[in-house]
Amino acid sequence: MRNLTILLYEWKHFVRNPFKIVALLLFIVASIYGLQNGAELYEKQNAEIERIHKEAETKKETILSYFKNNEKGPKNKPWIDVTTPYWAIWNTPSYHFKKPSPAIVYTIGKTEQYGFYKAIGISSSPYDADMAKEIANPERIQSGTLDFSFTILFLLPLLLLVLLYNIKGQEAEQGFLPLVMVQTGSKSWWILARTAFYVLLLVFVLFGLLLYGALLTHVFDTDTVFWNVFLLISIYLLFWVLIYFLIIKYGKNTVSNTLQMIGIWLLFAFIIPAAIHQWISIEKPTNLMIDIIDVKRDKTAEIYAQSNQLTDEQLFKLYPNLKQTEIAKDSIRIIKARRSSIRALINMAMKDATATLEKDNRSKNELVSKTYWFSPVTYFQNKLNHASKSHYKDYQNYRNEIQNLIDKRIEIMVLEIWNDVKVDKIKYLEYNNTFRK
Amino acid sequence: MLEIIKNEWRFLVRSRIFLSISIAFILILLLAVFLGNYQTQKQEQTHQNAKEHVRQQWVSIDDMNPHSAAHFGTYVFKPSNLLSSLDEGVSSVTGNVLRVEGHVQNEIIHSEASQMQAVSRFGKLKPSLLLQYMVPLLLIFLAFNTVSKEKESGRLKLLVLQGAKPLQIILSKTLSVWFYGLLLLTFTLVLYTILNFQSFTYEIFTRTILFFLSYCFYYFIISGLTVFFSARWQNATLALTSMLGVWIIWTLFLPNMLMSSAEKWHSLPSRNEFQSAMKEDRSKGMDGHNPADKRGFALKEKVLQEYGVDSLSQLPINFDGMRMQADEEYGNSVWDKHFGNNRDVLQKQKQSFQLGGIINPFISLKNTSMGFMASDNLHHQEFLLQVENYRRVFIKMLNDKQTYGGSKTGNWGWKEDNAFFKSVPDFNYKPTQISVVLSNYMLDIGLLFLWSVLVIVLIVFGTKKIQIV
Repeated sequence: MRNLTILLYEWKHFVRNPFKIVALLLFIVASIYGLQNGAELYEKQNAEIERIHKEAETKKETILSYFKNNEKGPKNKPWIDVTTPYWAIWNTPSYHFKKPSPAIVYTIGKTEQYGFYKAIGISSSPYDADMAKEIANPERIQSGTLDFSFTILFLLPLLLLVLLYNIKGQEAEQGFLPLVMVQTGSKSWWILARTAFYVLLLVFVLFGLLLYGALLTHVFDTDTVFWNVFLLISIYLLFWVLIYFLIIKYGKNTVSNTLQMIGIWLLFAFIIPAAIHQWISIEKPTNLMIDIIDVKRDKTAEIYAQSNQLTDEQLFKLYPNLKQTEIAKDSIRIIKARRSSIRALINMAMKDATATLEKDNRSKNELVSKTYWFSPVTYFQNKLNHASKSHYKDYQNYRNEIQNLIDKRIEIMVLEIWNDVKVDKIKYLEYNNTFRK
Repeated sequence: MLEIIKNEWRFLVRSRIFLSISIAFILILLLAVFLGNYQTQKQEQTHQNAKEHVRQQWVSIDDMNPHSAAHFGTYVFKPSNLLSSLDEGVSSVTGNVLRVEGHVQNEIIHSEASQMQAVSRFGKLKPSLLLQYMVPLLLIFLAFNTVSKEKESGRLKLLVLQGAKPLQIILSKTLSVWFYGLLLLTFTLVLYTILNFQSFTYEIFTRTILFFLSYCFYYFIISGLTVFFSARWQNATLALTSMLGVWIIWTLFLPNMLMSSAEKWHSLPSRNEFQSAMKEDRSKGMDGHNPADKRGFALKEKVLQEYGVDSLSQLPINFDGMRMQADEEYGNSVWDKHFGNNRDVLQKQKQSFQLGGIINPFISLKNTSMGFMASDNLHHQEFLLQVENYRRVFIKMLNDKQTYGGSKTGNWGWKEDNAFFKSVPDFNYKPTQISVVLSNYMLDIGLLFLWSVLVIVLIVFGTKKIQIV
């Protein structure tokens, strides 16, 4: 009953304090703005995916028209023959998309650092130039988008600070504290009850904001992501409440408490993550992709220059079925088939190079993860990014999927060439269906 | 006034808390300068190794057809500069590797940010992070009760009775807090100068001085405004919370919001849209690899007429190279059009953002800090432009060799020797001179100056009727 009275008293205190109300309203406005930014990005990416789908369909129709008109390809490019597996597969437009999660409304994470659509071809690699991020102003990317996670990670602790900063300090300065002790019995309970009021208020506000965000992008369609985000945010809120509670409990006056609170915030939000970032940049400087460049130039030239016997050996090792084909036994036709299949060997070399690069990136990321225990803001940021499938690892998975699609495409192409398959309209449509999966 | 400032400093130096915080902060600042410098050097070493590696590949080409060499191409790595150890600006989000080849103008890729998970939202522990975010907070903490404390203790009344004018007292307090900010700034820049003394050039010196000046303005604005609040409001806590509110709005809210809005007001095309439009325009030109191309055919007729011969085989030159170069030149005009549009949009975005400095001097500080440290988007775009200019010279050299080097049309097996490839110059980045781009930052400097004047006006007119007790 006594705690309830304290809660009600705190409500009165809150509504009579315009500074706190304005702070809360500003936080809500910023959060809505952040949610809108996330929702806009979600819509924009989906619209772009839809547009690219249509573009691919048009390309497909053009190729189908060659089959319909008994043509082998565009008239001004006589070397193209879509009735051969090589050119048919070359001209099968297929994209792999990283469809945005509806939870992107809560945090855009690393979304703006990477591309989300990739044209898959036999010469593709997950590190091609078209995997680069969308065209954007680098100064905006550097300062970061004001998304919902920004308001949670950086502004929520400040809002909490504004709501809690004068608890106990004000009473102590005005000499009411002994009176409060007499009336409430326990100082800790009194502080806790007052703090609990703001926690409840914030939980209610955050839940409302999350719900608003969910309505913008249909978050409820995806498993339990809403509740996961709510849980994460609640834990994050409690983390800061605990710190501020201890400062208030042991602090002497309002100013000193405020300075300590802001000091801790600066430490966790700025100094520690920035120091970690700097340290990692020194330990692991930016990879300039030399391994990939070497494969694209030296290794590719080496593969093209190697003996036919070695190329055949490598191809047969990669695809044992090739050895049994008619073309493998035909010393004339094998020349063209071998030449058209060399991409498979370059792809293997490229995979080795990207493995080295990914190993390097993995070690960088492991270093970051090891700092989570003393860098809570980084930890929560990455947990939220995971929830919205916009973490580095989600993009790594996307790259892995792309590599699998490239492998599959090359494998089908090589097998079809060596089996001397003739491509017609039905076969071409079959390629389209296969590569879309 | 000087006496009041001296007194203020005496009080400050006597405070153990102030001294401990200052020493700790100076140590962090010095560490940031040292680490920033070390990281830049290490990154520069990686860059240099990569550059040499790629150049070595190029100069090792023994015999190759010049046009095949254009496809072999080369790579340009974005160099890190000495100044970016103070403020790295956009460097961590822009790419680092740019492929230079025939027919295609590639995008710069492989940014540092794309190689790892999220770490710090505000960048690395560079001096700019501390100077932009932390030092202003320290100044606020130092100034929020500087006048209210005097009121509460009755010292303000005593000072007025002794003949000091309230305005003098307030201005002196502003200056004493401001000097503290300048001291931290000076420490940072002195260490930076010592560490890089051997590489210091007139250009770096000028940029560092401009960097120093823009921070001087901003620190004055923060110090003056906080002292003003302290004088106007009876309660020190109110002064502190008001100024913290201003700091939060200026540094956390508005820059993000304004930049996002500027991007919406002047939108850039999506990458796919942009590439499709480029491809579309490019398809209207010549296809350098296709002898059957209509425009190529027209060029052929023109060249045959010029040389007074009937067939390509009679030409003393290699027409293939000429067609490739014509294709390149058409492609260059397409690039100029589309990338030019993007650059215009980016410039409009920047101008809109700069105007944000009217309501938020932090935006002006951010712009000048990045700009003077040669790490903003403007300098990045200049780098990209230099690479594109190099690409044009590089490809033209190869196409000209194909055309006039002694081979005949259709002779794709003809090869140039190693001496020629060695003679092709490497890309040499020429850092943009501040004198060339200074005009782009005049608005920011002007706004910082205006804000400083506004703060003086606020102090002069807003504190005329302050209560002495």
